[in-house]
Amino acid sequence: MKFDRFAAVAFLAVGVLFMIGSRNLSSSSYGSSVGPDIFPFVLGLVLAALSIRLFYEAYRSKRQESSKEKLEYKPFIIILLSTLIYILTLETFGYVITTFLFLFVCFQTMERSKWVTSLIISAGFSGIVYFLFVNVLKGTLPGWPIWFS
Amino acid sequence: MGTFDYLLQGFETALTWYNLLFAFVGVLIGTAVGVLPGIGPMSGVALLIPVTASITGGLPPEQAATSAIILLAGVYYGAMYGGSTTSILLNTPGESSSVVTTLDGYQMAKKGRAGSALSISAIGSFVGGIVTLIAMIALAQPLSTIAIKFGPAEYFSLMLLGLAAVSGLAGKSVTKALIMTVCGLLIGTIGIDNVSGIARFTFDVPWLYQGVEFLTIAVGLFALGEVFKTILEKEEDDGEIAKISNLIPSKEEFKESAGPIARGSLLGFFVGILPGAGATLASFFSYLMEKRISKKPEKFGTGAIAGVAGPETANNAASGGAMIPLLTLGIPGSGTTAILMGALMMYNVQPGPLLFEDHPQVAWGLIASMFIGNLMLLILNLPLVKVFAKIIETPKKYLIPIIIAISIFGVYAVQVSTYDLLLLLGCGVLGYFLSKNDYPIAPLVLGLVLGPMIENNMRRALTISDGDYSLFFTRPLSLTFLIVTALWLLIPVLLKKRGKDVVINIEG
Repeated sequence: MKFDRFAAVAFLAVGVLFMIGSRNLSSSSYGSSVGPDIFPFVLGLVLAALSIRLFYEAYRSKRQESSKEKLEYKPFIIILLSTLIYILTLETFGYVITTFLFLFVCFQTMERSKWVTSLIISAGFSGIVYFLFVNVLKGTLPGWPIWFS
Repeated sequence: MGTFDYLLQGFETALTWYNLLFAFVGVLIGTAVGVLPGIGPMSGVALLIPVTASITGGLPPEQAATSAIILLAGVYYGAMYGGSTTSILLNTPGESSSVVTTLDGYQMAKKGRAGSALSISAIGSFVGGIVTLIAMIALAQPLSTIAIKFGPAEYFSLMLLGLAAVSGLAGKSVTKALIMTVCGLLIGTIGIDNVSGIARFTFDVPWLYQGVEFLTIAVGLFALGEVFKTILEKEEDDGEIAKISNLIPSKEEFKESAGPIARGSLLGFFVGILPGAGATLASFFSYLMEKRISKKPEKFGTGAIAGVAGPETANNAASGGAMIPLLTLGIPGSGTTAILMGALMMYNVQPGPLLFEDHPQVAWGLIASMFIGNLMLLILNLPLVKVFAKIIETPKKYLIPIIIAISIFGVYAVQVSTYDLLLLLGCGVLGYFLSKNDYPIAPLVLGLVLGPMIENNMRRALTISDGDYSLFFTRPLSLTFLIVTALWLLIPVLLKKRGKDVVINIEG
C-alpha cells in the first residue's frame, strides 16, 4: 500500500532524527547515572526498527489496493482552509466576528440551503459562547478587533 | 477510617448541588454522544476537557478536579447507554461497543418490540454499572495497598505492560499500533526534562519548552479527525427510525434477560479490568457466550432479547471496570481512560495508589457520583428515550462545524496560543489519514500520557541500581510484568501465523 510505504519512510526519518537529536543532549546529569538522552535514543531506535518492519509488511501485501471510494474533497478543502484562516485571524479580528464568519461559511459548505437559519445559528453560537465565557466565567478571549476597543 | 466512611464522604461530595449538576450534564452529553454516530466516547471526552476546565476554573483546585472528573466520567459511561438507542432503532451503532446490539436489537425493533429492547438495555446497563461500582469499592483499598509497595522498577514494567496490552489489541496490525505507541512516547519527551532540567527537542522555540500539550493532541486526533472523516466520507443516511411502542417488557422478557444481565455484568467487569480490552470486546464476548449457552442458539440474529441484554450490560460494566486500574494503579487500559487520566493530571491530581490517600475527595466523590449518574441515566433513558432518539436527526450540516468551533474554542481557552490551534488542525488532518489507514490513535495518546512517567520511573530505578539494567529482570514482580508484556505481544502474532482469527479491539 502506498500510504504505508510513505509512512514507513517518514517514521524512519523521525526515528533517526530523534536518535541524532538525543546524541546532542548531555549524556548524564547531576546525581544520576542515566541521562536525559537514553530514553529518547532507545525509542528512536525502536521506531526506526518498527518502520523497517512496516515497510517490509507493506511491500509484501502490495497488491491489495482497496476499492476506491468517492471522497468529498471539495467541502473538505473549503472547510480546512476556512479553519486555517479562522485560526490565523482569531487574535486580530476577535472571537465574535471570526467565529460567526467561520460557522456561516462551513454551514453553507456542508449544504447550501436555509441561509437564514445558518445566519441565526452562527450568530447565536459565537455571541452566546463569548458572553458565557467572558462575562459569566470571567475568562479571556480576544473579543473584538484590536482597533475597535 | 474504613471504606464505608470514605464512601459516605464521597456521597457528601457528590450530592452538593453543583456536583449533581456536573454529573447530570455529563451523563446527558454522554447519552447524546452515544446516540450520535459521528462522535464516540473518546472524542466526546476529549472535546469536553477544555470546556470543563474553563467552567471549573473558578473553583479551588481539588474541587475543580472532582467536578471535572465527575462530568467527564459521566460522558464516558453515559455514552454506553446511548449507543444502544440507535443500534436498536436504526441499525446504526452509535459507537463501536454497540455494534453487536444491532444484530438482535434491530430485529426486535422490526417486530415491533423496540420498546422492550430499549428498556431492557437500559436496565441491563444500570445493573452492569452498579455491579462494577460495588466491585470497585471492594477492590479499591486492597489494590492500592498492594500497588503502594511497588518500586520504580515495578512501575516501569507495569506501564510497559499497559502499553503493550493496548497496542497488542488495537487495530489490524501490531506493527502499526506499536509505531503509534512509540510516537506517543517520543512526543512525550519534547520539552524540558523533569529530572535534569535540560530542554529536549525544543529547537529553542519557547512554545515547546513546556512540552506538547496532551489536550491539543487528543482533541485534534480524535475529535477533529472524526469530523474530517464525516466530511470526506459523506454517507447518505437513510433508513427509518423504528416506532417505539410499549416500553415495559413482558414478564417472559424479564425472565429471559435476567441471566444474560447477571453474566454480562461479571464478564464485562473482568474484561474491563484487563488493560487493552474494553467495552467493545466485552459486548462481543458476551454475545458469543449467550449464543453458546443458549438453549435455542438459532434464535440469535432474529430478535432474541438475550442478545441485547447481555452485550449492553457487558459494555457498561466494562466501562466501569476500566476505571479500576486507572484509579488504583494509575495505569489507563484504554484510549478513553487515558484521556481521563490526562484530564486528572491537568489538575495536578495523579491517579494511582496514592490517589485514595492524597485526594480522597476526588476518588470517592467520583465513585459516589457514578452511583448517582447511573441512576440518572436509568431515569433519563426509560421515559425519555424517544427524545434522545430525536437527537440523531440533528443535521450534520450544523453539527460538524460546531464541533470544529468547540474544539478551537476549548483549546484556545486553555492554552491561549495560536500555535496550539495550528497543532490542533494539523493533528486533525493527521488523525484522519492515520485512522483511515489502520493506524490506531488510542496507543499514541496512551504513550503521550504515560511517556514521562515511564521515563521517570526507569531513571529512578536505574539511579537506585547505579545504572544496572538487570534490576528489571531480577525483581520478581517486575520480571513477571515483563514476561506478560512479551507474551501479550507475541501470542497474537503466533496465533495469526497459525491462521487463527484474532479478535481486535476497534475502540482502543
